[in-house]
Amino acid sequence: MTTRIHSLFLKIFLWFWATVIVTAISLVAAFAILSGNGVSQSHAILTETARQSGAMAIEEVELHGAPAASAYLGRLEDRIHLQACLFDISGNVIAGSNCAAFSETISRLTATHTSEVSWRHGSTRIAVRLPGRNGAAYVYATSVPTGPPISRVAIVRQWCIALLVSGFICYLLTRYLTAPILRLREASQHLAAGELSTRASAEMERRHDELGSLVRDFNTMADRIEELISRQRQLISDVSHELRSPLARLNVALDIGRQRKGDDPAFDQMEQDIESMNEMIGRLLSIARLDASTTPVAMTEVNLSELVSRIVRSAQFELQPRGNTVRLTMSGQCFVQANAELLHGAIENVMRNAIRYTEGDNPIEVNLRSREFAPSRFIRLAIRDHGSGVPESELLNIFQPFYRVAEDRDRHTGGTGLGLAIAERVVRIHGGTIHARNAAPHGLEVEILLPQLSRMGESALLP
Amino acid sequence: MDRVLIVDDDVELCRLLAERLSTEGFSLEAAHDGPRGLSRALSQEHALVILDLMLPGMNGLDLLRNLRSQSSMPVLMLTARGEDVDRILGLELGADDYLPKPFNPRELIARARAILRRSERVSDTSDVLIVDDVRLDPAAREVLIDGIPLDITSVEFSLLEALLRNAGHVVTREHLTQTVLGHKLGTFDRVIDVHVSNLRKKLSRVHAGERIKAIRGSGYQFVARSEAK
Repeated sequence: MTTRIHSLFLKIFLWFWATVIVTAISLVAAFAILSGNGVSQSHAILTETARQSGAMAIEEVELHGAPAASAYLGRLEDRIHLQACLFDISGNVIAGSNCAAFSETISRLTATHTSEVSWRHGSTRIAVRLPGRNGAAYVYATSVPTGPPISRVAIVRQWCIALLVSGFICYLLTRYLTAPILRLREASQHLAAGELSTRASAEMERRHDELGSLVRDFNTMADRIEELISRQRQLISDVSHELRSPLARLNVALDIGRQRKGDDPAFDQMEQDIESMNEMIGRLLSIARLDASTTPVAMTEVNLSELVSRIVRSAQFELQPRGNTVRLTMSGQCFVQANAELLHGAIENVMRNAIRYTEGDNPIEVNLRSREFAPSRFIRLAIRDHGSGVPESELLNIFQPFYRVAEDRDRHTGGTGLGLAIAERVVRIHGGTIHARNAAPHGLEVEILLPQLSRMGESALLP
Repeated sequence: MDRVLIVDDDVELCRLLAERLSTEGFSLEAAHDGPRGLSRALSQEHALVILDLMLPGMNGLDLLRNLRSQSSMPVLMLTARGEDVDRILGLELGADDYLPKPFNPRELIARARAILRRSERVSDTSDVLIVDDVRLDPAAREVLIDGIPLDITSVEFSLLEALLRNAGHVVTREHLTQTVLGHKLGTFDRVIDVHVSNLRKKLSRVHAGERIKAIRGSGYQFVARSEAK
């Protein structure tokens, strides 16, 4: 479950970050495209300027000779930091200094391509072909510094810083958004586990955004649940008290009656009925308690093999007068994490049911073994009787409270109709499942699956 | 006639019980609320208190706690069936035994007799039991650890006596339940275990060490000081 919430965190974080990165890239791209116009404009301006100063240099050459032109170019360099050279059409230097640097630029000039602009290391180089007065052609090349030099390393560094800063901001934002969700989730887990007094923190309640109202709603809901459950608990204990008080009095009165009038079969019948009413109240209350399941059940490591053997022994004892028995097959020792008393009651209820309905002298079969159901190991306990079974359509219903197969009512089989309902709830709170199916040729098989304890330890049933 | 106090808010039940118990040689006095029950229990006029844990006014457990801080008189609790937590808490607070309500009056009489027999019994075998630093005098119903008296209830006294008589040997839970509480050990019956745990706490408070060892699957054993952890 934590991976899921982490993935929510990760999702929001990655989306934020991706958004920031894409925005940055598109900004840069847009800037580059828009400034593309500016570049070509500046090309035109630079080329035109080069043409002007080139024409001046050519005039100097033609009127006063090459040294005068060199002097002119030297003045340009001194005054406005423009380095320039004048070449003849075949690339020989006529005027200017340090002209070798332009060789690559001027080599790219062709007959049709009369001007060339190139950038290198923070400066722009321009070469233009210019006509002289008497039909001679010249090449004029100049270099203009265009800003501070930018290295590759610097670019990588800038991008890294941008990524880190944006990542950090996105992380903070994501945490701001998901932290309350995480904490709310934690609170609801505690609530679901039965800690009814759990509330989301007041600090989160004070938020003014939607998360704040979610937290307030959650707390209102928790208040309501706590109130309802405590009321139900009170009701259960009141019912328990109020119904049992008259039974307690009846018990004593009955005993006094016996003393006065001597033993009478009518007294036995009364005692039996008082006992069965008491038992029914007890079972109803345990169903109510298991359904509310607000108090976590105390679980210990339980040796299921031992527990089942004990139930089987007492069932064998009970079946002896009927000339029947129980056959137990099991392999090894099975351990489960359980509340021994509850689980004992549940299995005993299933066994009682089998004893009640089995017919003939085929023994009731009890089978206990561990089974592999990837990814975990289960313990399978099957109890099979040789009665008439249950109609297929009713198989699910037999775990409902007070459910009895219709014809059964006429058979005076006794029982409260609550045993299997309790068994189902007990198995469920142990993380297991219970199913019933009809066995061939007849009889009912109840199958209980319980998660097996991985550790094989000593019995914890007794101190 | 043994004077018995019952603390229960069911007036009619108390009347019926008084009638029933009178034929068994008990004289029953009833208190119907917690505060009155406590003051009557502290009057030292009774040999036994039967205490219903579901009381109006003062919770039965609170009453028991108050009573135990001043007196070690025997207490039999009446609990609602299924309220395991109350039952265990009650035993930990020092109640001797419990009976789920509704109960069979004959069962109540048997439990009351067992408790009274234990607390009133003047041991015929008045030989003093001595194991290392523990000295138990059945005649005086007194336990001394290194010469210092140990304050324990009568049920804990009987338990310690049963363990000391078999010091060095395992005593089964069945045997302990039968001799100390006077009835058979039931399935998931933890009464004797709670008493053992209470006794252990009291022994460790006077630095007698972990003298009562639990033997898994069988019972308990009192060990010599040298063997204790």
